Amino acid sequence: MKPRLAVIKLASCDGCQVTLLDLEDELLAIGEALDVAHFTEASSRFDPDGPFDLTLIEGSVSQPRQIPIVRHARAMSKRLVAIGACANTGGLQALRNWANHEEYLSLVYARPEYIETLAESKPVSELVPVDFELNGCPPDRHQLLEVITAFLVGRRPNIRSESVCLECKRAGHVCVHVAYGIPCLGPVTQAGCGALCPGKRRGCYSCFGPRENANTGSLADDLERKGLPPAEVARRFRLIYGWAPPFRAESARREKP
Amino acid sequence: MTDGERTFRVDLMTRVEGEGRFELRVRDGVVERAVLSIYEAPRFFEAFVRGRSIFEVPDIVARICGICPVAYQMSAVRALEEALGLSPTPTLRALRRLFYCGEWISSHALHVFLLHAPDFLGFPGALEMAAAGHRDLVERGLRIKKVGNAILERIGGRAVHPISARVGGFTRLPTPAELGALRDDVARALDEAEIATRWAAGLDFPAFEQDYVFVSLVGDAYPLEWADEFAVSGRGTLPIADFERVCVEAQVPWSNALQARLDDGRTYLTGPLARFAHNAARLHPRAAALAPPAPVRNPHASIVVRCVEIVHALAEALDLIEAYAPEGPAYLEAAPRESTGLGATEAPRGLLYHRYAIGPDGLVREAAIVPPTSQNQARIEQDLIGMAPQLLTMEHERATRLCEQLIRAYDPCISCATHFLTLDIERVTP
Amino acid sequence: MTAQALARDDLGALFDALRAEGYRVVGPTLRDDAIVLADLRGPEDLPAGWTVRQGPGTYRVERRDDEALFGFAVGQHSWKGFLFPSRERLVEMRREDGALEHRPAARDAAPLAFLGVRGCDLAAIEVQDRTFMRGRHVDPGYDARRRAAFVVAVDCLEAGDLCFCASMGTGPGVERGFDLRLTELGPRFLVAVGSARGASVAARLPLRAAPAGDERRRRDGLDDARAHMGRTMQADDLPGLLFGNLDHPRWDDVAARCLACANCTLVCPTCFCFSVETVSDLSGTEARRDRAWDSCFTVQHGQIHGATFRPRIKDRYRQWLTHKLGAWVSQFGVSGCTGCGRCIAWCPVGIDLTEEVAAIRATSRPAVAMPPPPAPAPAVREPMVPATARVTAVRRETDDVVTLRIAHEIAFRPGQFHMLGLPAIGEVPISIAGGDGRSVDHTIRAVGAVSGALAALEPGHALGIRGPFGSAWPLEACVGRPVVVVAGGVGLAPLRAALDTMAARPLDYPSVRLLYGARTPADLLFTDDLQRWAADPRFAVRVTVDHAGADWRGDVGVVTRLITDVPPDAVALVCGPEMMMGFSVRALCAAGLPAERAYVSMERNMACAVAHCGRCQLGPYFVCRDGPVFRFDRIARLFDQEGF
Repeated sequence: MKPRLAVIKLASCDGCQVTLLDLEDELLAIGEALDVAHFTEASSRFDPDGPFDLTLIEGSVSQPRQIPIVRHARAMSKRLVAIGACANTGGLQALRNWANHEEYLSLVYARPEYIETLAESKPVSELVPVDFELNGCPPDRHQLLEVITAFLVGRRPNIRSESVCLECKRAGHVCVHVAYGIPCLGPVTQAGCGALCPGKRRGCYSCFGPRENANTGSLADDLERKGLPPAEVARRFRLIYGWAPPFRAESARREKP
Repeated sequence: MTDGERTFRVDLMTRVEGEGRFELRVRDGVVERAVLSIYEAPRFFEAFVRGRSIFEVPDIVARICGICPVAYQMSAVRALEEALGLSPTPTLRALRRLFYCGEWISSHALHVFLLHAPDFLGFPGALEMAAAGHRDLVERGLRIKKVGNAILERIGGRAVHPISARVGGFTRLPTPAELGALRDDVARALDEAEIATRWAAGLDFPAFEQDYVFVSLVGDAYPLEWADEFAVSGRGTLPIADFERVCVEAQVPWSNALQARLDDGRTYLTGPLARFAHNAARLHPRAAALAPPAPVRNPHASIVVRCVEIVHALAEALDLIEAYAPEGPAYLEAAPRESTGLGATEAPRGLLYHRYAIGPDGLVREAAIVPPTSQNQARIEQDLIGMAPQLLTMEHERATRLCEQLIRAYDPCISCATHFLTLDIERVTP
Repeated sequence: MTAQALARDDLGALFDALRAEGYRVVGPTLRDDAIVLADLRGPEDLPAGWTVRQGPGTYRVERRDDEALFGFAVGQHSWKGFLFPSRERLVEMRREDGALEHRPAARDAAPLAFLGVRGCDLAAIEVQDRTFMRGRHVDPGYDARRRAAFVVAVDCLEAGDLCFCASMGTGPGVERGFDLRLTELGPRFLVAVGSARGASVAARLPLRAAPAGDERRRRDGLDDARAHMGRTMQADDLPGLLFGNLDHPRWDDVAARCLACANCTLVCPTCFCFSVETVSDLSGTEARRDRAWDSCFTVQHGQIHGATFRPRIKDRYRQWLTHKLGAWVSQFGVSGCTGCGRCIAWCPVGIDLTEEVAAIRATSRPAVAMPPPPAPAPAVREPMVPATARVTAVRRETDDVVTLRIAHEIAFRPGQFHMLGLPAIGEVPISIAGGDGRSVDHTIRAVGAVSGALAALEPGHALGIRGPFGSAWPLEACVGRPVVVVAGGVGLAPLRAALDTMAARPLDYPSVRLLYGARTPADLLFTDDLQRWAADPRFAVRVTVDHAGADWRGDVGVVTRLITDVPPDAVALVCGPEMMMGFSVRALCAAGLPAERAYVSMERNMACAVAHCGRCQLGPYFVCRDGPVFRFDRIARLFDQEGF
């Protein structure tokens, strides 16, 4: 019997699922190698109950109703892989975690009392253990394919926690930080995107989140030496992966007067 | 007609982007309730951009939607550039148009071949369709989609949340050789899209026509990344500055939801059918040659119009690539200052309006974003009501499926809409 | 021979000549506001009139007030990108219907002409030659590209802001190792021929006799450059100095600034570390092993299942600097630094190794002695392509340990290891637990994806095998002496073949004491062998477990407690977890054994097993080449060093 795949969505932009559908050359092969048992964005044949051999979960936990969904997914899945920034650290919408929740609601909604949300946008791993965290906003589709392939053949996915700088140098891009003075978060950001931003002459804005052992303090000092006001340094760390602990701590440090 | 109560309801709509349900309840032939209920989590984007540098806005608003991030980036830069008085060079405008063509191709192909086509061929999804004798069709769709993504990747680094768009232009201009490398793939995809359009035109559409108020941008070219005016059926052409006055986003007391309607209270439709209704004459000749007579008033037939728009986008992309000879800087410089700007572009799903106020500190003070799906939502509910008579004559499951199919025909993007929709929208019909 | 010159206006002839001889010309060009190395169409692509201004963490191109073609210091790119590409396919594999095929990947070795190689960079190429071409194993891709490459060197008559080639003895002039050498003297180039290939190209050039005084102008220019180096570094004593100061407080200081981003290592023209990745299709039918530039600043570099050897940034910076300036000399007979200054410029936060070294030197403790480089050995080619072999028998040792018998005709020495692999899953080093010339035994504990898949193999299954690799237990040094063997857990496996050899040669090994510890009785390996050895009157076997059940009759407690009454002339062979080996050797020494007669078998992250990938370094050693069996006194200093 083919392994059963589920793709589950929480609070998100759907970009991670779109990334899966963007595997144009491999999508049909994935459909042949796996029984796509639950993927409501792609098919009306679905099975929320499980069990599943592999579950990909996109989005952050932002509403009370999502809590049982996550617990169920964990219970019914042999492997649970959290994909994307939202599922792994709360994502961009975790920006609301700093705000006064009620105040935020009232900014957008005239009658905020009817909105049912949690006070924080949480990562899946805060509720249940996950077997693998695939980062990126969105995740790189080749890395997503690697996770699925590695699961199918039984190897550890080749997903490295190194800095973007390694990919950037392997690609031969000129370092934007050193050669143009463009502030770049590449040194503290996990590789995987393919060093897209330096390749387009912009600094990394860390849409893949903190790398292992990120020395955010040293980089932030350097950005300040290069003339960025501390408030702007704080903003740079408080974006898509702002809720990830190393970035959260750094933005808090820089925010203080 | 039929006595008693009938309820058509799907709690987990499939092959749509995001999470929603609908319920249509009819008692004694009278619609009691027509609800498109969206339980997707709300996501507060207008609040997120407050206090942010204008240069961060394109990265932030892209995350509203993983299917049409370029649309969000393009509406944002258009509005912010207006605020700063920046006027992009012809090179930048052409490149943006090409960039946007990539998103149209990719997004429309996703909907046509992977989400919508299974409704007409009787399959739960494209994978099932491919496994049961329609592999060629699905592969063709995937090839077209891939070319759209290739354009996005070449200009923006990646297809979902691309990285090179910035206020004033792009972080780097592609070289003619880089774009030229796409040419042959685009030409091939254009041929394939023409074949696909003929295929779509031959599908059997459920009979359902409504007298829609179409709202879309209008201009010299088929509307995409740039227009200064929009058209409303029966009311002619209006400056885009009037958008918020004419298309009113208001919280109605009985629904706890912001809904866009015309200032006269009527619902309206935005998206491919509206663009086609107002701009059929501006289609690229290769697309015009395949287009049905305008307007198309059957939402089920939107698959044909989407195919025509794919042909248009590919044909334009081909022209733009062949004509590409970059001049001027990759981006125009401007210091942020206290100002307000608004702008709209045509997302794959329809008119996408942004307005920003920049404070004296150069940071965003206020933002308003009106995505297409929130504009279409009231219209969808009205369509459900309009379908009720024909549903009552049908077998229940088939009728329920038809409701879902109608909603799907709008290609609703619920993720987009939820930056301001409440969890449960209930609008009791009179 | 009189000096010859090429007019600047005739430089196009050099491009023509190189192309006529079949070379693709690559060299410096201005692109995206930086001088990069790329394909050159002709002299018009050279950065005429440009120079660079560099400092720690900054690099800017600037106009010169002349139109010099080579008036700039080295940039981010180095020639390493052409000889040792950042990604390269090594092995292709296909598995179908039980058959398994391994083949070397196709290689691109089209001849390149490197135009504008500076002294430091030519020295760097020669440093990498030692890694990939001059060791026991030859990297076939590098070897082919290097042999094909044509070097047009260029003298540096101006020193850059961050240059210290004069300190490292690699520049500013280029005196050897080139095919052609150019010295830019205003309107002409002084041309020197350095090889037969160079002469062949030179014969196609419109050369004229150089004006009198050009040779002298060259020498003066070089002297001037030498006198104006942006940086200096005293280098001759660095290996011993750095290894004598592994606990210097400066390591903590630099670790606070270091981003561990790895930029220094990737821009370094000599850094050679790479990772090996297994890639496959969805079905696992087609697979391959690729390598990619890696760095000692990544966690994966020093990580094996269950252990991270360099968890802190401090550990990684120290690894890099001690390797670059110190261990390299023991490994390859040359410093890993050529004084090009790239690591200073391209460090995002501007860490300057010359400053770090100076700071350590200022308050240093005495230098220590370092081992000499290994003697040259005959070269083995295609070291990364496995042979296909089949499992003939599987014996379950414990719950998670099996012994595979693999049909493989090979000679090995007890203590060596093989790389065992499965195509779509990966490859791991496994010590050889026995063999008879027709087959080898491998005892495998299922801890990770690869070892788990290997442990699940059944008779008839195919796998890939490379080797044998590494050093062996010193069985000849043990002849005639009492031997004490101390093993912990699966550490008995690498000792099994040695024990069997000693059992088979009673005259050579009159007394063998085996002290074996495991967690529980259920974790004991080779229980048949233990009984067989115990029955031999020359053998004394004692087994101890950490946790015993009621029916256990043997010892309980750690294995070191069994280390008593060690004969002073004994040799000790120790294998087990690193901590257990440390305690065991200390107990052996306390009991009177000199440390130079204790041997241990080390484990590090071996990915290539042929001293190319750099991942299994242990100070001046490669565990795959110089180990895994080490005489303890040679690694004692590193053994207790956190983060090594």
